[in-house]
Amino acid sequence: MSLLSIEEITKEYDGIRALDRVSLKVEKRSIKGLIGPNGAGKSTLFHLISGVEKPDSGKIYFKEKEITSMESHEISALGMGRTFQTLQIWGNMTVVENIMAGMNRRLKGNFFSYGLWLPWIRRSEKEALKEAKGILDSLGLLGKWESMASQLPYGKQKLLEFGRALAMKPDLLLLDEPASGLTLTEMRQLSERISRIRQEGVTIFIVEHHMGMVMEIADEIAVLHNGELITEGTPEAVKRNPEVIEAYLTPGSTAKFKGHL
Amino acid sequence: MVETEKNEFKKRDFFFLVPLWLISLIAPDPYLYHKKEFKKKDLFYLGAICLAPLIWSDSHFHHLMVLAGIYAILALGLSLFLGYAGQISLGHAAFFGIGAYTTAILTTRYAFPTFLAFWASALSAAVIAYLIGRPILKLKGYFLALATLGFGEIFLVIVRESSDLTGGVIGIFGIPWFSVMGFSFDTYLKQYYLIWGVLIGLFIFSKNLVRSKVGRSLLAVAASEDAASSVGIHVPRVKLEIFVLGAAFAGLAGSLFSCVMSTANPEAFSLGFTVLIVMMVILGGMGSIYGPVVGAILLTWLMDILSKYQEYSLPIYGVILILLLIFFPDGIGTRLNVRLIYLIGYWAKKKRRDEGKL
Repeated sequence: MSLLSIEEITKEYDGIRALDRVSLKVEKRSIKGLIGPNGAGKSTLFHLISGVEKPDSGKIYFKEKEITSMESHEISALGMGRTFQTLQIWGNMTVVENIMAGMNRRLKGNFFSYGLWLPWIRRSEKEALKEAKGILDSLGLLGKWESMASQLPYGKQKLLEFGRALAMKPDLLLLDEPASGLTLTEMRQLSERISRIRQEGVTIFIVEHHMGMVMEIADEIAVLHNGELITEGTPEAVKRNPEVIEAYLTPGSTAKFKGHL
Repeated sequence: MVETEKNEFKKRDFFFLVPLWLISLIAPDPYLYHKKEFKKKDLFYLGAICLAPLIWSDSHFHHLMVLAGIYAILALGLSLFLGYAGQISLGHAAFFGIGAYTTAILTTRYAFPTFLAFWASALSAAVIAYLIGRPILKLKGYFLALATLGFGEIFLVIVRESSDLTGGVIGIFGIPWFSVMGFSFDTYLKQYYLIWGVLIGLFIFSKNLVRSKVGRSLLAVAASEDAASSVGIHVPRVKLEIFVLGAAFAGLAGSLFSCVMSTANPEAFSLGFTVLIVMMVILGGMGSIYGPVVGAILLTWLMDILSKYQEYSLPIYGVILILLLIFFPDGIGTRLNVRLIYLIGYWAKKKRRDEGKL
């Protein structure tokens, strides 16, 4: 069975159908892309998967467990990490603490053992710090490990959010427009990084507006339009699909897509 | 020509630098990771706390510091909830009251030893906080503020009306001194060491929480609940745990208060008292664990000094608070050094601008 499977999911907001009987599967160790014009329901789908919102009908399975009605933190504890479309970094913490907070679910111990600072807590905190520094090193943020996260430039903050999701050691990583607002160099580094973590065994589900990047890294692409799934397949097949082309032939998004056809 | 003059280092600047250097030695700066560890500075504070009442051997000073210590315990618990988890509570005085009344009732009616009543107070405050917190903590922002405010008022009414148990408006008198194994804390000096000892213990406990996983999840909840639950932090439970812990601190403070004052009456736990505690947390600095302690000492002293001016005391008090909030928005205990550098730099610049050099 696939790592993540979505069955006939529907979500309405005040009578407007944001998602209409969408079914999707994400295979283990693959990179799946999700594209579609603005307002197609991509972010809604991500919110439903990660449990921020609940669907009106339909079912979602993750690791063969039904997660449709689970709380967001329970789902992430099962091994699903995510980033957000609008950057959600903890600006009130230092850079390294952001990463360490990402490792929270792997750190054991209750309130009192932390308050009394028992020897094994001291040890696990030290190891967590070391591991977090390792993650920062691989992201190229180690030089800034002690500064406040809010003081980083935007691109670095995006990178930090990505690193925080990685620190959870997720099996499935949902990336909601990771490339928006990044420079070309940063974007290239990001696609390299995504390919690298896939080799480490992480499955990636990515929503992205930047076609060039998705087409390049994804194994399979699903296209949403007005809440409906119009097609699914390899990047080449999707590019040639007439329905997809029509969906993108709306003002604003045309130029961006055409360049890659 | 003007350009070179602007950045020149004047001899007079040493005059600013020396005190700044001294301040930077004692003012903690929490905005760096390693600064959250215990430092030599903390030993310096510890020594100062132990020696202060011996050097300043004056019973008024001792009594004042006893009160400041009790307020600091209370503010410490609240600052974890308010400053770290970013939630608002205006009902904190009620937990203080619950602690005070638990001790008062247990010691005067049932002849409990104060040492046991001390722990029972923390327990009762924590249990009530748990029962209240479960439904209430689903609220956010202003709604949470109003709900906790309502809880505080309800507590006050219950205490006033159930006069059989709590003595009504008059309260309960004759609570014995705090004593452990026959050793009674009957002078202000002994009480000073008792209360500051408890405070130091709780302070170390809180500091350990703050610099570890617990502190990180609190800050995460304060900054973005969505992101917090996306990494597997159970947001409602984190809030509830810290609310209960804050209430337990308040219960301990209340118990100590009733033993020191040997009385418990409802007027001490009104809304004004909550506002005072919130003020201590804000003035001391929300992002720091040292903040509430500094804030508690500062406000206790300020009130004492101003009480000389009788009817003018409240307006003066208000003006001082506003000035402190304007010039130290981060609080006195947080980034005092950075703040002072900014202010002194501002004054120096302003002076030069007035002289027409800039």
